[in-house]
Formats: sequence, structure tokens, C-alpha cells
Amino acid sequence: MYPLTQILIVPLLFAPIAYVMGRRLERNTGWIAFIPLVYTLLLALLVAAEVWEGPPHLELYRWAPEAGLTFGLLADGLSVWMLLTINILCLFVSLYSIPYMEHRFHEWEHETGEHIGPQAYGTYYALYLLYAVGMMGTVLATNLIEFYLFYELMLVPSWALINNYGYGERERIGMMYFLWTHVGAVILLAGILSSYWITGSFEISALSGVVGSPLAPWIAIAILIGFFTKMAVFGLHIWLPYAHAEAPTPISALLSPAMIGIGAYAAIRLVAVPMYPVFRGFATLFSLWALVTMVYGGLMALAQDDIKRFLAYSSISQMGYLFLGLASAAAYGLSGVVFHYVSHGFGKCILFCVAGILISRVGTRSIKELGGLADRMPLTATLTLLGFFAIAGVPPTMGFMSKFMIFSGVFSGALEGSAERVIVAVVAIIMTVLTVGYALWTMRRIFFGPLPERLKEVKEAPPLMLIPLIVFAVAALLIGIYPRLVTDYLLPYFLSSLPK
Amino acid sequence: MGPLEVIAEYPGPWLCWLLPILGALSMPLLERLGHRVRDYAAVLFAFLAVVFAASMLPDLLAGHYPGDIKLTTWIEFPGGHPLEVGVLVDPLSIIVANVVAFISFLIVVYSVGYMHGDPCLTRYWFFFLFFIGNMLLLVLSDNLIQVLIGWEGVGMCSYALIGYYYRDEKKRWLGGPPPTPMYPPSHCGMKAFVVTGVGDVFLLAAIFIIFHYAGTLNFVELIETAPRWLHAIAHTPGLLSLTAILFLLGPCGKSAQFPLHEWLPEAMAGPTSVSALIHAATMVKAGVYLVARMSPVFYLGYWHHGVGEALTYFTAIAFIGGFTAFLAASQALVSVELKKILAYSTVSQIGYMMLALGVSGLSEEAYLLGLTGGLFHLISHALFKAALFLCAGSVIHAVESIYIFDMGGLKKYMPITHGLMLIAFLSLSGIPPLSGFWSKDAVFLSCLAAETPLALALFILAALSAALTFLYSLRCLSLTFYGHESHHLEELEHHGHHIHEAPPVMWVPYAILVALVVGVGVLGLIGLVNPHLSPELFLEEQMHHMLHGLHVHAPTVHMELSIKLTAVSVSAVMLLLGGLPGWLFYLSRRADPWELVSRSSLLKGIHTFLWNRWYMNPLYYAIFVDGLLSFKDWLFRGLEQLFFDRLSGAVAGFFPLLSAYIYAGFEREVVDKGLNEGVPSAATALYHRLKRVQTGILSFNILYIGFTLLILILLLIYWFGGG
Repeated sequence: MYPLTQILIVPLLFAPIAYVMGRRLERNTGWIAFIPLVYTLLLALLVAAEVWEGPPHLELYRWAPEAGLTFGLLADGLSVWMLLTINILCLFVSLYSIPYMEHRFHEWEHETGEHIGPQAYGTYYALYLLYAVGMMGTVLATNLIEFYLFYELMLVPSWALINNYGYGERERIGMMYFLWTHVGAVILLAGILSSYWITGSFEISALSGVVGSPLAPWIAIAILIGFFTKMAVFGLHIWLPYAHAEAPTPISALLSPAMIGIGAYAAIRLVAVPMYPVFRGFATLFSLWALVTMVYGGLMALAQDDIKRFLAYSSISQMGYLFLGLASAAAYGLSGVVFHYVSHGFGKCILFCVAGILISRVGTRSIKELGGLADRMPLTATLTLLGFFAIAGVPPTMGFMSKFMIFSGVFSGALEGSAERVIVAVVAIIMTVLTVGYALWTMRRIFFGPLPERLKEVKEAPPLMLIPLIVFAVAALLIGIYPRLVTDYLLPYFLSSLPK
Repeated sequence: MGPLEVIAEYPGPWLCWLLPILGALSMPLLERLGHRVRDYAAVLFAFLAVVFAASMLPDLLAGHYPGDIKLTTWIEFPGGHPLEVGVLVDPLSIIVANVVAFISFLIVVYSVGYMHGDPCLTRYWFFFLFFIGNMLLLVLSDNLIQVLIGWEGVGMCSYALIGYYYRDEKKRWLGGPPPTPMYPPSHCGMKAFVVTGVGDVFLLAAIFIIFHYAGTLNFVELIETAPRWLHAIAHTPGLLSLTAILFLLGPCGKSAQFPLHEWLPEAMAGPTSVSALIHAATMVKAGVYLVARMSPVFYLGYWHHGVGEALTYFTAIAFIGGFTAFLAASQALVSVELKKILAYSTVSQIGYMMLALGVSGLSEEAYLLGLTGGLFHLISHALFKAALFLCAGSVIHAVESIYIFDMGGLKKYMPITHGLMLIAFLSLSGIPPLSGFWSKDAVFLSCLAAETPLALALFILAALSAALTFLYSLRCLSLTFYGHESHHLEELEHHGHHIHEAPPVMWVPYAILVALVVGVGVLGLIGLVNPHLSPELFLEEQMHHMLHGLHVHAPTVHMELSIKLTAVSVSAVMLLLGGLPGWLFYLSRRADPWELVSRSSLLKGIHTFLWNRWYMNPLYYAIFVDGLLSFKDWLFRGLEQLFFDRLSGAVAGFFPLLSAYIYAGFEREVVDKGLNEGVPSAATALYHRLKRVQTGILSFNILYIGFTLLILILLLIYWFGGG
């Protein structure tokens, strides 16, 4: 029944339906996006169950035989949880979008006086589905060209969504987002093409043939720079706070938690595993770079008053953790990268959705104007705390386990490696307090303290906005208590695919 | 055996922490059935914890406890040791678990009265029961990772309960009186979580290092394989010392020891029942427990396997404990908030426990004595300090103020509370024959038994702290219960507020605690004649038995009478030293301490120094709060906005220009040639690439084609040029 193919095709088919039906269904077009994603989630769970017990699931097609191209979709220990996370996030955020986008369009009409036709819903959800397909395709691809196409398919709809429905200077910011990640992608393409020149194949699995060539470090760097731009590591990060802050909030809730982390996944899939000996050579440099990203993102988060910008910088900091795990070049650390992608995905998605709740219910994004809201929104406050715990790594949320894995890899990599890396590891682990610090400080500024007079009438969010958050929080707790759901995929994969 | 069968076979160590956690989760549901049902259910769940904890006691007395029980694999590390879920049932964990469960239960009962009428009780019970469950999990865990989970769990409850009054009403603020800064509860909760969090990450770092070398985190396996992995770590000079110190910083954070002690005074912002349970009797002992739990590893390493650096573990914790005992006792002398005096006192007393555990490793013979002393003081302190806090709760409840200068003359209004608090304070001061006397004596004895210069120096410091302890106890007692009524009380009466004794649901729990304090004391006295009944000897036997089971050989020593007498006489001298000024200033009130202080500039300087907490708190705030906050602003303005934001703008402006240039100069001249001569193999890919890029923005298309080829060509040049 080719489940992976269906996972990509079905939402793709629903995209034009959503586009056409938007005019009639208006806000309820969201359900058209919801239905195919439920179906794909069921398929993804089936595949996950299959991979749990047996070998990886591969669907392979001949694509362009004259160029030696195949089109493959692979769910293995590495990609199963990427796929599940993206699918779950997209699924529930589509529900969240229903009330949120309605609010957004009303607000828009109110502010600008423009009339927003019902067609806007159709376009939004069509792009939304394309975006979801782009992300899922990227993590399933087995072929470099195929990978690149999906990688670009992530970019274009998300750019259009920011450009069409964003806040503030959405067009300029959309362009900036497009430019930065696109330049990264082009450098990536250069790396891909040069690897073809050496190996004569576009298969990802053939990339290991590059090792040994004097060009190998350059190819690795070219590919990695593309992914680092996506991850917004320090120096390549400036597009992120703008894009994530000004995107419509449900899209922010996918950009930060689901999309940028794919950069880290791709770095593992394309470089860290197949070109392991080459990749290892960068460990010290990358550790240091990751540390700077962690700390810099955290400090910048502290400096923000706009809650979405705050969350965006916090994402940069969390990408620093993924980067640190990558840089460890150790099996536990690399497992921790994917694991923390999942924790960060659920945690940060909760937080961005909370930002959206505050925007729609209170009407402000400025943390200064908030306070004491725990009285009015007890459930939102509890969920926010859980979201913060998931990214800060407080048990029993899964963030604890994922950070544990990352740092266990970082320390074992460092103790085998050099003294500098041990220092970086110790400093990095101390800097995790920064996350706890900015999380609790923000928690306190938004939800605790006296309730200002003007917020006395604020109401709890509607069920459609809260249900997704509850699902994410429950998932974060469940996996936190039973982490084997994730680690039993990841650890065997890395221990078998990395050289001893 | 399946996990359920394992639990069914020996349910005590599992259910005693699982049930309170379940109870916590059920609180929001039980609220629906009515507040009364919910409150009684909370008491019931706490009671069940006592029952299941106590179910392990017969095995302890019979001497055949099950040891390490593994339930299931938590995370499978292919090719390595798995992380397992398990409990370690041995004397140390059984004794501490019982103390925790029992005191928790009493305080839950007290809470029913103390928190009566609070509108957010469901939240209170949730975190309270969750705390009990996590604390027992921590104590009963058989591996470090599970300890860490309980450790973070209790920390989270502590955060939530310190900030329980999150609305930050002015009357809940702590600190002051102005100009001394005052802090709202939500600030205090955050401070506690962040400061202990600092300790936790150090601990985590140590755990990762240990995990890397030992390959396991199970306590029993860690002790069994200690010689191997300690040698492996010690192979890199300095690494084992670093590991030991990183490890100890975790307990220092949790147990509020120098240099991470500054959070505990502020933790008093929570309800008093919370202070009694979490910040006096149980959670803050978690650090002591963990230090004791790991000490056999380092003891073995140094004394039996000659790993020199293992001694750092003991030297460091002895120093930290001794210094903290003195530091905090001195601050308690000048504090004006009733609960803060008790908080400083807690920090100081935990210092004693750490000191005992520290000196235990300084000589081979002192180990058993020190371990026993630390544990004994842990238990005895838990009893009398919980009682003190509960009494303080009643007093604060009655007078509606946290400041001792708002009290005075309460003896006649609250005779029961006065009597019980008096006994508890005497026990804290180490007046014989109360429990505090025996346990403090045990700490002193272990210092003397270690017989190293460091141990003796720390003994002197600890003895001086004992004098301070008696002095601040008398001060606190007198200002609360004796003398004239304060202005504040007169005003209260004037407004028709009648000060009254606490209801039985409140005083009975602390009466039970005080009865135990007296009971342990009397047993200690009987123990002089009949050693079988001595609590100290009982603990020593249990510890000996436990170490024996772990194959750690620690000799039992019989202290000479002369040493014992030395310890007792030093205690007596110190009581005199502290009691004399106490009697003069506070009991007989022959001299006014404030007058004395204001007459001498030296004393005044000391007072200011102590009042500002040795300037540690202001310093921490200056560096880690204000410093950090201004640094991030500076960085945001200086780097992010000044450089990166502009960079982005420049990039956006620069690219269209560049693309025009590339199109004219590069695309036609170089690219065409490059394509014709160079890379036919890349053409197919490029074709697909070109098909994809119909974004409609011409300059970008051109731009990235140019860019791609630029890099390709550079690579080509590198390849041929270099090859």
C-alpha cells in the first residue's frame, strides 16, 4: 500500500481541494487540512510500528534512469521520529489555525479596512498542506536531488505564508527569510553537485564515497553551511527572529519547532553519518560555535519584550543544543539531537501557540503589558509551564531525557577528544541554567504577580486552541516517562551506522 | 518476572512513592467531589506513604532487607549498560524514607488546619503530594538518574510552593524592613529554582563524567566497580578532583550550602507548612543523603585502592559543611524574621551533617562514626526543625506578621505552642538530654575521631557555631514569647483581634514531633546504661551492616572515654558561652543588646556585615542578575542590532547589485565557458534544478546559478591546481 508515498501524495491532493473549498467553507477549511493529516499520521504510526520490530521501511521508484536517478522514501530509526513529530505538529496546529486565522483576518480587516475575502482561507490551508508535505518529504528522501527539491518545497510555501499573512513588514521580512535560507540552499546544492562529481551517484547512502577525497572537507562544509543557515546558528541567525516573530502565529509554531531543526537532521543524514571521519575533524570548532549559539540565543531572548521574538531567540539557543549534540560526533549525542528536536518541537510549539492565545485574547505581544494572568487563564498557564519545562529539560518532561542524551554524548565525545572540548562541555552544561532562567522569568512576568486592571476581563482560550496544546503536553510527559519510545529507534541506528 | 509481579512481591519501596504521585494527579478530579473529600484524600494518600514506608521496617530490624530491586529497562544502550528503573532498599534508604514519610504525614495533617479556607488548595495538595512522591523516589532510587528525576521533581514542587502566593500581594513579601530590599513570592520561587538549578547542572556534569568511565549509574554497581573506574578517571590528573567537586556542588545547591546557600532564606515566602516540610525537614536533606550515598565509592577509592584524589570528596565537603555551619549561624543572630532565623539555622545545621560526612573520610577509622553522625543529625534535626517551623506557623498565623519585633509576650496567649517550641529550641541548641544533644555530640565525636588538623580546625568552628546556635535560639524565643507585647500586638487587640492558641489539628502534629525529640533524647540517656537502646548505636549497627553488604570494610572503633568527655565538655563550654549573653540580653534583659552594638563601631560593623549576609547576597545579585541583565542589553544593542541587523539589510541591498554585475561580467564570460568545458555530468542535475526555480524573480535565479557555478569552478580550480 506504499504508506510513505501516500503520506506525501494525499496531503498534496488535498491542497487544491482546500484551495477551492476555501470560498465556501471559510474558517472551517481547516478541517480539509486536518483530515489528510490524520490519515497520514495513522500511516506514519503503522510504519513506525513496522520499523520498531523490523528493518527500515523503504519505497523506491525509478525516477530518471538516464541520469541514474531514483526516487526513494525511507523510514528508518533516524527518520521515524522526525516524520512523527512533523506530522503530529502539523496535524494539531491545523486545528489551532481555525480560530486563530479567523481572528487574524478579522483583526486585519479591522486594522487596514481592507476586505479579506473567504478565498484567503483556501490559499492559507493549501499552502499549509504544501508546507507540511515539503517537511515530511525532506526527512524521507533518499536521493540528494529529491532531498533538495523537498528542501526547497519547505521554503517556498512558508515564504508565501509569511509574505501573505504575516505581521509588520511582512514582505520585506519574507524576502529576507527567503534570501538567507535560499543562499544557504544554493551552497548546499554546490556541495551536492560536487559530491556527485566524485561518487557518480546522487544516492544519500553513496555520500560515504566522498570520504578520502581531498575535496571531502569542502563538500562537507558546503553542505553543512546550507543546514546551519536553516538552523540559524550564530552568525547565520539574523533572519530567524524576524521571520518567526512576524509569521502568522500557527506558522511560527511550525517554523520554529518543526522546520529549522530539520537542518540538524539533514546534517546527520547527509554528513555526520556517511562522512563520519570527515565530520569528526570539525568537532572542536563546532562545539565552540554551538556554545556561542546557545549562550548568544539565550542572552538575546532575555533582552526581548516581544513574546514572539523572545521565543524565536530561544529557538536559536535551542538550535545551539542540537548543534552541540551534532558536534559531539558520538552516538549518544547524535541520538540526543533527534530526541531534543522532538522535545523542542512539542515544547516550543506549545509556547508559540500560547503566544498566539495571548495575541488573540489579550491583544498584545509585549511582555511588559502582561502579568498575573494565571488567575484568568489557569490552564494556559499550566501548559506554558510544561512547555518551558520541556525545553529547559525538567523531568518528567521528555526534555530532561533529550538533554541528558545530548550531554552524555557531549561528555563522552569530549573525554575521548581534547581538553578544550571538556571545557566547552562543562561551560555548556552550566549555561543550561540560562534556559531555566529566561523561562521562569518570562513565566513570572506573564502569569504571576498582581493582575493589572485592564486584564481583568481576559478569558481562557477556546477549546480548539487549547486541545492541541494539551496533546503536546501529554506527549511530552508520556515520552518523558517512557523514553524508549524514542531511544529504541535512535540508539540502535547510530550504534550500527557509526564506526566504532 | 513482569514489572507488576516485581512490585507485587515487595510493594513497600514502590507504592510509597507511586501512591502520593497518583494522589497528586487525582486531586483535580477529587476537587469535583467536594473540598472536604479532597482534603481528606490528601491526608489518606500521605498516610498510605507512611504505611508502605513502614512496611519495610520489620525487614530492617530483622537485618535481611532485599537490597537492589530492578523493575524494568528504562533506556536500552545497545552494547552498554542499560539504564534501569529500580529501588535500593537498604538501611540508609529505609530509615530516611520513613523519616520523610512520617514527617510529611504530620505536616499534611497540620496543613488541613493551617491552609483552611485557602481558595487554591487543589494546587497546594497537588504539589504537596507530588513532592512527597518525588522525595521518596529520590531516597529509594538505586541509580543516579532516577535520583536526579526525583531531585528535579522536588525542586519543581519547591518552586511551585514557594511561589504559591503567586499574586504577590504586599503582605506576602519577604525581606525588609526597608531599606533592605523586599522580594515577592514569585521572585523567591524563581530564585530557589535557578540557584539550585546551578547546583544541578554541576552535578549532571559529574554524572556524565562518571557515566563515561563507569558505564553504569547504579549505586551498587558503581561501588562494586569503583576501583576500576576511579583509576580510569584518576589517570588524567585533576579530573577526579574536578568530578568530586562538580558532584558535591549539586548537594550544595539542594541543601543550601556555601556557595549556593543564598536561596533558602528567600524560600520562606511559601506557606509555613511548606517551609517546614520542604525547606527544613526533607528536601534540603536530599543533598546530605546523596553525599552519604556516594561516600562509600570515594572511601573505597582512597582507603582501599590508593586513589589519592578521591580524598578531595571528603576534604571539600568537610570544609563546606564546617564553614556553612558558622556562616549561617552568624546570620541567624541578626535576622528579624521569625522564619528566616529558622532558615539560617537550617542551613547551619545541615552544615553540621555535611561536616560529619566530610570528616568521615579523613581517616579510615572515622568513616562509620561520621556516616552515623551525619545520618543521626539528619533525623534529629528533621524532627525538631519541623516542630519549630510548625510552631512558627502557628505564631505567625496568630499575630499576622513575620517579624519578631511584632511579637513578644505571647507566652500567655499560646501556652502549648510556647512549651513545645521551647523544647524544640533547646534540642536545637543541644541541651541534654534532648535529641539534638546526642546528634550534635555524634558530629563532634566524628571530628575528633578523624584526628587530622583540618578536622580539628573544623571542630573548633563547629563548636563556636554551637555557641551561636544557643544564643540565637534564646534571642528568638525571648523576642517571640517573653517580655512586653509589641506595639503591633497592642494594635491588633485594639482592632478587636483576639490572639489565641492554635487549634488541635495544628498543635497535635508538632506535639508528636516534640514528643519524639524527647523520646530520642531519653533513649540516648538510657543508651548510656543499656547500649542496645541507644539510637546512635542502632544507626551505627545499621550502617555497618549496610556497608558490609556492599563489601565495604569500615572498622568499628570504640571511642576512648577521654575523647567522649572532651566532646561533652566542649559542648558544655559552648552552651555557657552562648547562654551567658543570651541570659543577659534576652532572658533577664539586664542589658540591651542594641545599645551595646550602637556604642561600639566594631560591633556595629559586624552587625552590618551580618545583616547584609556577609555581602554574599548583594554580590550574587550584582553579578548574576544585574550584571547579566545589563550585559544582554549591551550585547543586543552592540552586536545584534548594530551588526547583524545591518548586515541583513546590507545583504538585501547588495545582492541585486551583485546579480547585475554577475550577469554582465560573469555569467556570459565565465559561465558559458565553464559549462561547455567543465561539468557535463552535472548538467542533468542542473536541468532539474532550473526547472524548479521558477520563482519569477529573475535576479535571484541568475544570482544563484551564478553563485553555484562560482563555487563549482572554485572547487575545480582547487582540484586541478592542488592535484
